[in-house]
Amino acid sequence: MFADLNQLLGTIYFGLFAVIAITCATGLLLARHPIKGAICLIGVMLSLAGLYAILHSPFIAVLQVLVYAGAIMMLLVFVIMVLNQGEDHAVPRFDRASVLGLSLPVLLGALVVTTLRQVPLANDAGALRGTINRISEAMFTVGPASSGHYLLFEFGGLLLLTALVGAVMLAKRGLDRPVDEPDGPKAHGAMPHAHPGHADRGTALVNLHDQAAAGSTTVTAGTAVDVTTGAH
Amino acid sequence: MNAIDPNLVQILAAVLFTLGLAVAATRRNIFFLLMGVELMLNAVNLSFVGFARTFAGQGSLLGHLSPLFIIAIAAAAACVGLAMVICIVRNRDSLDSDAYAEMKE
Repeated sequence: MFADLNQLLGTIYFGLFAVIAITCATGLLLARHPIKGAICLIGVMLSLAGLYAILHSPFIAVLQVLVYAGAIMMLLVFVIMVLNQGEDHAVPRFDRASVLGLSLPVLLGALVVTTLRQVPLANDAGALRGTINRISEAMFTVGPASSGHYLLFEFGGLLLLTALVGAVMLAKRGLDRPVDEPDGPKAHGAMPHAHPGHADRGTALVNLHDQAAAGSTTVTAGTAVDVTTGAH
Repeated sequence: MNAIDPNLVQILAAVLFTLGLAVAATRRNIFFLLMGVELMLNAVNLSFVGFARTFAGQGSLLGHLSPLFIIAIAAAAACVGLAMVICIVRNRDSLDSDAYAEMKE
């Protein structure tokens, strides 16, 4: 009797989380502001964490909340806030090419779903529950029976370190640019009069931005390259 | 022991992947592009976890191990991608991914 109840509850929870995930993903597709899209994506990730817990994988569920909904989305939201572009009306949500971009994925998805419906998949009774004990055992066993996953783990750590250093270098490049004055008349003309004779680091960025805003209509490719190469 | 039909899980993963692909293919705002890619990676994780339950014994643990590495790679990708977005938006002052077609010329 309890088995029946459990089965029913599992199905109900699965349906609930599936509906939330699909609704939030559609919200991401239709959202106008990046922050709203990010919140929709967090909803998808949290409901996916619930789904992992139902599908006997508590470790991945915890990891999903910690890393995805916690770390990655926090980073994304911070970057959206820092850039503070607001509601970008200059960029249209959809254009004519979107018809193709929307219909082709739907076609692909329909193909996959129709194929999946004909595949006889069944749960195996001997499937192990993905607890942290079993996962760490499978990953870190060293010896003849080892699967070698610990090497992948180490490489993953190396990859994350490389990505960290690369990200810092990339994001720092804009701030590090020295403001050297004989930069051509363009950079000088656009300098705001509020900060006269500044040569410290932070203002390089301000100048670039002011130039982009005050300089003609748009920063064309030519001037942007000119500024970056001229500064080096 | 509740047993969700694995076909349903795979269909849900396919639907989420489709939505992620649609977001990445149609939206021109660079943030939505990144978020679409993240959504696709999530759908693949769900697919792995769904398939894990159709194997017996140690083989089923592989389905729980792979999402771990996918999450690590997604974190690295998001990290570098967002740094590039910061760098490009500073130079170009635009979130439109069409504004970044520098290599075409």
